[in-house]
Amino acid sequence: MSTKDITLTVNGETHSLTVEPRMLLIHAIREELDLTGSHIGCDTGNCGACTVVKDGEAIKSCLTFAVQADGSEIETVEGMEDHPDADGGLHPIQEGFEQEHGLQCGYCTPGMIMAGKAILDENPNPTEEEIREGISGNLCRCTGYQNIVKSIQYASDKLDENGEVAAADGGRAETDGGFTCGVENCCGGTGFDHTGGDNE
Amino acid sequence: MKPAAFDYHRPETVQAVVELLESLDDAELLAGNQSLGIVMANRLATPDHLIDLSGVDSLSGITVTDAAVEIGAMTTHRTIERSDRLAEVLPMLPEAAEQIAGPAVRNKGTIGGSIGEADPAGNYPTALAALGGTLHLRSAEGERTVPVEDYFIAYMFTDLRENEIIEAVSIPREAYPVDRTGMAFVELKRAAQTWPTVSAAGAIRVDDPGESEPTIETARIAMANAADIPLRVPDAEAVLEGEPLSAAALDEVADIVTESVTPEGEMHADREYKAEVAGEYAKRSIRTAHERAIDAADD
Repeated sequence: MSTKDITLTVNGETHSLTVEPRMLLIHAIREELDLTGSHIGCDTGNCGACTVVKDGEAIKSCLTFAVQADGSEIETVEGMEDHPDADGGLHPIQEGFEQEHGLQCGYCTPGMIMAGKAILDENPNPTEEEIREGISGNLCRCTGYQNIVKSIQYASDKLDENGEVAAADGGRAETDGGFTCGVENCCGGTGFDHTGGDNE
Repeated sequence: MKPAAFDYHRPETVQAVVELLESLDDAELLAGNQSLGIVMANRLATPDHLIDLSGVDSLSGITVTDAAVEIGAMTTHRTIERSDRLAEVLPMLPEAAEQIAGPAVRNKGTIGGSIGEADPAGNYPTALAALGGTLHLRSAEGERTVPVEDYFIAYMFTDLRENEIIEAVSIPREAYPVDRTGMAFVELKRAAQTWPTVSAAGAIRVDDPGESEPTIETARIAMANAADIPLRVPDAEAVLEGEPLSAAALDEVADIVTESVTPEGEMHADREYKAEVAGEYAKRSIRTAHERAIDAADD
């Protein structure tokens, strides 16, 4: 039986593994690394419960051999609370699922959250249609999807708000011209002109 | 573990790939793994060796020249879906790509994998059957080019030999000038994960899109999941060519397509229904392609 030595960086932590080539990425994540947040539903690419983010893209980790992921950066649901957007608590997407009742049995949720993250990473303000398209490879047999869509919309709004607060605090994130902070009296009397863009 | 054991190879050049194909017994090529992985999980395929093509950079990419579009076999659905250049010159391909499964599958799945699998329900096989073009195949003996119309032989059976790799597909642009061509890929599908019940690929070139009723110079129609291969329907194309589009011609297209297809019945759609809906979808693809051909003049 042949084996391969591979390196996976999962949620920022680098792991060296020796695996059989036939080991699926989902099995490496769950059984070798003991990160059982990502679920296995169908094992054949249908359900999306095993969705993780690999090098910035959502993938189905049951349709990837672990050897194919050698050298890559993987994000799973376990990493969401440590993400900077989580600010020490739940990530806004997780909070969205809590606030909007985006889960019932919870089996699809880790995959939905990672699919949601891939959607928002690429497009912070998706339309409802774009969200539905983005989770179209993920099956949920409980919710009817409506509240999952709302959960991701909640996260989109929350991340927007956080962005605005951060901008009002520091004002330096996006001040490369034409920026309006939107907060009343934010910079009264300082002479700082948000909209001018020529103060640098 | 669900798949049977195999040895894994990850060459970095096409030459190394074809040499492995010569030297290894019972080897399969691994592209995006979005279909082979399912087949192997079910142990319907138990190859002794997998040759992963993801390390061969020269197999990915889209090249557009005045004469042709060439797409490398390892180009993903996502890349094709999002190619602005393809949307401009051969919009059927991005439209076919964006309707494949969900985004996670499109991030990994490749055009070469789809052509190699040759499922007659597949989107690219059908788009290529409509558009025409050439497959570039390579073995240790050298390159071989095969016209699309000769490649698909029977259900998931093609002219690709055991020692060959698909390097690229090229589609000549001459028949599809952007300012007077329209294309449409429409499919009837229950959910992202399912195969389409039926799909239709239509392309129309008119003589002068500025006229109120331009004459159709060229029409192309191909159907997915409607026969044992992606099925081009030349008799239906002939009805349209040389005339302006008419309601009567569209109805005749639908009738000819319904007559021409030989679909397998499936759980949610029996043969009769699929034949009927194939005609309707052929009509829709042509109607939309025609609208787009006329709009092309304004772009």
